[in-house]
Amino acid sequence: MRWTALLVLALTAGCARLDHVQIGSIDQSQGELVPVSVRLSETGFDATAAAEIGRVASRGRTAENFKQLRDILALINMGPRTGNPVFDDAYAQRLQEYLLVECPSGRLTGIRAIREAKTAGPVSGEIVGVDAYCIR
Amino acid sequence: MFKRFITLAVLMTALTGCVSLNSVSLTQVPAERSNEISATSSSWTFLGIAFSNDFVDEAILDLKSQCAGGKVEGILTKFQHTVFIPVVIREVVATGYCHKG
Repeated sequence: MRWTALLVLALTAGCARLDHVQIGSIDQSQGELVPVSVRLSETGFDATAAAEIGRVASRGRTAENFKQLRDILALINMGPRTGNPVFDDAYAQRLQEYLLVECPSGRLTGIRAIREAKTAGPVSGEIVGVDAYCIR
Repeated sequence: MFKRFITLAVLMTALTGCVSLNSVSLTQVPAERSNEISATSSSWTFLGIAFSNDFVDEAILDLKSQCAGGKVEGILTKFQHTVFIPVVIREVVATGYCHKG
């Protein structure tokens, strides 16, 4: 059982999660469109899942301790959220700045705002991305 | 009896499509709304395990191609999941208004 759980965890490492997609207006009448893209990410960590892995991978008293830890972590992290908790909540702050570096004219159209993540067990890369077209 | 129960359970599970809506967004809606266009892109996954989100780009490329040289405004974007156990279909549906000239 525990080896199956660990195998599933290994197989699902590197999975992609998609939370939100928003497509903005597209103007193709102003000139040539050049695709630009900005991705910002921060490490996310699911402590509850880490404790669950510990429980599955251990036996006896240790497994019981991991189970209790998992339950406590689940209770104190309860509530609505998107993705895993991150260590810096301002990691997406400079998105617009980077976008303007990619498109100095600032004439952007077809903006797609994407919230996604790459997950590997309890650890994830929580990503905020913007793809757009720069009018040149 | 048991075989019938299993068959029924499998049929019920396979034929049930549960849809969940993850996100919705809408951009400014234009006054001229005669030419509605729509694009859908989807990705089939086994048990919801996906390795890429690139399928999203297909929707915008489709919208662009349907309104070459014009403006697409009032875009309603929906991101939804449809579950046919064990398959999970992730879908982006974008609907907007094309205005040329």
